[in-house]
Amino acid sequence: MTGGSTGTVRLLYGLLYLFLAFLAVLTLFPFVNVLATSLSGSRAISSGEVFLWPKDVTFASFDNLIQDGQLLVAMKNTVLITVVGTALNIFTTIIAAYPLSRKRLKGRNLLLMLITFTMLFGGGLIPNYILIKTLGIMNTYWALWLPALVSTYNFFVMKTFFENLPSELEESAAIDGANDLVIIWKIILPLSLPIIAALTLFYAVGWWNSYMNVLMYITSSGKQSLMVKLLQMIDTTSQSLLNANATSGGEGATMQTLVSPEGIRAAAIIISVAPILCVYPFLQKYFVKGVLIGSLKG
Amino acid sequence: MNTPTGEAAERTGVSSTAVPKRQLKGAWKHIKRDKYLYLLLVPVMAYYFIFKYAPMLGEIIAFKDYRFADGIWGSKWAGFKHFERLFTSPDFFNVLKNTLLLNVYGIVFAFPVPIVLAILLNEVRIEWYKRTIQNLLYIPHFISWVVLGGIVIALLSPSTGIVNTVIKAFGIEPVYFMASNFWWPVMFILSGIWQSAGWGTILYLAAMAGIDPQLYEAAKIDGASKLRRIWHITLPGIRSTIAILLILRVGQMMDVGFEQIFILQNKAVYQVSNVISTYVYHVGLEGSQYSYTTALGLFQSIIGLILIISVNKIIKAMGENGLW
Repeated sequence: MTGGSTGTVRLLYGLLYLFLAFLAVLTLFPFVNVLATSLSGSRAISSGEVFLWPKDVTFASFDNLIQDGQLLVAMKNTVLITVVGTALNIFTTIIAAYPLSRKRLKGRNLLLMLITFTMLFGGGLIPNYILIKTLGIMNTYWALWLPALVSTYNFFVMKTFFENLPSELEESAAIDGANDLVIIWKIILPLSLPIIAALTLFYAVGWWNSYMNVLMYITSSGKQSLMVKLLQMIDTTSQSLLNANATSGGEGATMQTLVSPEGIRAAAIIISVAPILCVYPFLQKYFVKGVLIGSLKG
Repeated sequence: MNTPTGEAAERTGVSSTAVPKRQLKGAWKHIKRDKYLYLLLVPVMAYYFIFKYAPMLGEIIAFKDYRFADGIWGSKWAGFKHFERLFTSPDFFNVLKNTLLLNVYGIVFAFPVPIVLAILLNEVRIEWYKRTIQNLLYIPHFISWVVLGGIVIALLSPSTGIVNTVIKAFGIEPVYFMASNFWWPVMFILSGIWQSAGWGTILYLAAMAGIDPQLYEAAKIDGASKLRRIWHITLPGIRSTIAILLILRVGQMMDVGFEQIFILQNKAVYQVSNVISTYVYHVGLEGSQYSYTTALGLFQSIIGLILIISVNKIIKAMGENGLW
């Protein structure tokens, strides 16, 4: 194991590279398997023949979902929830972080203490639920947007970023008579685009993926989000799998039809992750940047 | 209130006689100078008071018999009734045990994975190869638990799942992983690793990038093997990152990510998968036992607060920057 012979070292490095590639494949394999399942015929799925490549290729599962239409409505809802939610988040994070990043602001420490404390202690599920009910915003998207108006963690990330901006530009603008709002708009925001991009992505992915809040606060089925619709489909299919397993003769029924619950579920999963996987390659560097800024002590 | 600061005067907005006039004037000047900044903070602080502090006050219903019609203030006091019921209930000890156990498993089995992964990635000398592997490993972090959970359940399905197809090919009986009290926690931890191990490498890799390359050169000249260099240079270089992340992780012992566990659990494995948050959801929200489960939530928050404060003390005692 010493660095003596270059031959062994080369071999070890080769093995390391292979092993890492294996891990990457292992990480992605489940997604590929689901993709293959979504494109396979029901007979191939229920006889367990689908691995990496679809068998008896068919778009029946996707057709079925599109004709049913519920998933598309849910997707439209999720887009609305994500776009408005993210816009509100970014706006609020900026108007919170800029004033509190100015060390001259009187009362700054008290306000920061009040904000920090909410990271350590929270009201819990039931009091939050009662609050939403009392405010009368149940079954509206405000019940999702308002309680999550700003993420305190992201607030600290942005505040740290603002604190580290060079102060000269701002000072000269202030001497020229620009007020704080003008300074934020004309000087701070243009300098902050990278961090705004990173936080936009974090917020947007969070909105796209979250389901707990929708489950709790949105009651009418026409307003459900994509993830909740998917959750319902997964629940019903795993229930049917449970039953099929208990009376293992039950599989015959699904074999007759072209689409199987597994195929439809796989297609729904593919539809839900496709938007994220499509933008991911172009945006991943902003994600990493955001984490590194955040780790510089908030 | 005998230490009159401009801050206090500005907060109350009332001119108390104890506050010298000059200081008041100073405070007023500050407010006038920064009026836009304060204006921006009005909605922000309103948000924190309504959506963060009001629910904390709402936890008072743990000491009442809350009924929605009566409201929080109108409901009758119940003393410690709900806590007594809680601490004598077998459910409580079960969910507490599961919460702590799943966290211990997570710390023992999942926490070291990103460290090992980061060390391996750090050895890769071909930059594009390293970046590609990293970006692929990050992907599950961006996918909803609904999707990840759905995939896990599908892969492990005893009838059509690929894992059981392979098992059956070896002539072994299919295993119903998600309905087994032994396999369910294993799959919970494994799926957690799948989701977050890659993303977890970022901070370690950043710490490794900060290690002085001359250290490696010197060790190489001294004839230290690759493994010795990792042991004596790389690991000490990321020691403080490991320590802080580990301590933070311990500080979250009372929480289990709701979104992960909710999608993975099912009735067959409640005995090992029901944790505080899912119990509050099922019994509190679905069963409308608001006061009783708020008592549990309050217990959880207070223990969590004590944990995080202790953790911060430990971090500071180690000479690192505390969380606050």
